[in-house]
Amino acid sequence: MSKQEQIQVVLAGLNAAVPEIKGSLLASLDGMPIAYALKVGTVDPARIAAMTATALSVGKRTSESLGAGTLQEVHFAGTEGRIFVYTVAGRAALTVVTPMDTNVGLIGLEARDMVNKLLAII
Amino acid sequence: MKHSAVTPLKLIISGPVGAGKTTFVSTLSEDPVVNSDEQTTEEIGKTHTTVALDFGRFVLQGRPLHLFGTPGQSRFDFMWEILSEGALGLLLLVAGDRPADFPQALSILRFITSRNPMPFIIAVTRQDSKGAWGPEKIAGYFAVPTTRVIGIDARNAQSSLGAVTCLLSLIEGSTSGNSRNPFHSTSHSTSNSNVKEST
Ligand SMILES: Nc1nc2c(ncn2[C@@H]2O[C@H](COP(=O)(O)OP(=O)(O)OP(=O)(O)O)[C@@H](O)[C@H]2O)c(=O)[nH]1
Ligand SMILES: [Mg+2]
Repeated sequence: MSKQEQIQVVLAGLNAAVPEIKGSLLASLDGMPIAYALKVGTVDPARIAAMTATALSVGKRTSESLGAGTLQEVHFAGTEGRIFVYTVAGRAALTVVTPMDTNVGLIGLEARDMVNKLLAII
Repeated sequence: MKHSAVTPLKLIISGPVGAGKTTFVSTLSEDPVVNSDEQTTEEIGKTHTTVALDFGRFVLQGRPLHLFGTPGQSRFDFMWEILSEGALGLLLLVAGDRPADFPQALSILRFITSRNPMPFIIAVTRQDSKGAWGPEKIAGYFAVPTTRVIGIDARNAQSSLGAVTCLLSLIEGSTSGNSRNPFHSTSHSTSNSNVKEST
C-alpha cells in the first residue's frame, strides 16, 4: 500500500469510528491536500487544504504571541457545525468537520489517536 | 496601552510566487515581521512560501504605514480578498526575469482591483538578473502608463522605499480626484475565471 493509501485508510477509519464526522482531510503546511475522506460532496479539497494551512499559521502566531505556547489545534464553531484543525508534529494539518452537537471530547480523543497513526506513516 | 495618534495607511503587497513580497515587507518593516512562511512541498524554486500574510510596519514622514503581504499562489486567493479590504493602495510585485509568471500577476491585479478598486503601482524586481524585463516593457505587457511601473530590488531598503513613495503619491493624487486607474473603468466581472485559467 502506498503512503497515500495508508493515510486514506486512517482517515476512513476516523470517519467510521465517529460516524457523525462529515469529513477529514490531511494537508501539508503549505496548503496542499495529501489525502481526504469527505462526505460533503461540494467542497473542494484544494481550497480546504489552503484555508486550513492559513488558519493553522495564524493560530500558531497568535498562540505564540499570547503566551499559549506551541499551537496544537484550532477550533471553529459555526451555527451549523464545527471544524477542528490539528497539527501533525509540525509537518501537516489534520482537519475534521463535524456537526454542531458533536461530542467535542470524543472528537479530540479520536483525532489525537489518528494524529499518532498518521505520524507513523508520514 | 499602546496607540498611535495618526490612522495608519494600509497598503497591500501582492504578486506571484517568488516576486519578493515577503522580502519586501521584511526589508521595510521596523518591527520584526509577522510572517507565515511554511516549507514548500512543491518545486517553486525556493524552500518556503507564504500561506497567510506578511505584516510589517514603519513610519514615513510621521505617517504610520501598515504593509500587508499576500501569499502568491492561487489556492490562497481568499487571502488576496481578505487582505485587500480597506487597503488604500496595491503594490504589485513582479519578478522581471520570470515572464511565465506575468499572467498570474495580471490575474492577481484584476482579482484585487475588481473587488476593491484602488490605486496600484507595479514594482518589477530582480532587475539585476540577466534578461530581466525592465519597467517599460512591463508597462507595455500590463497596458498601464510607464509612470505606474518601477524597477526595484526588494532586498534593498532605499529601492523598496521608492516603490512605496511612488504608490503614496498616486494615492494622494487619486484622493484629490485625478485617478486614472485603467482597471476601474473596464468592466471586469467579480468572477475569478481569469485566476483559474492561469493555474
Ligand atoms: N537577485 C535578486 N533577488 C531578489 C530581488 N528581490 C527579491 N529577491 C529574492 O527573491 C526571493 C523572493 O522570495 P520571497 O520574498 O519569499 O517571495 P514571495 O513573493 O514572498 O513568494 P511567496 O510567498 O511564495 O508567494 C528572495 O530569495 C529574495 O532574496 C532582486 O531584486 N534581485
Ligand atoms: Mg511570501
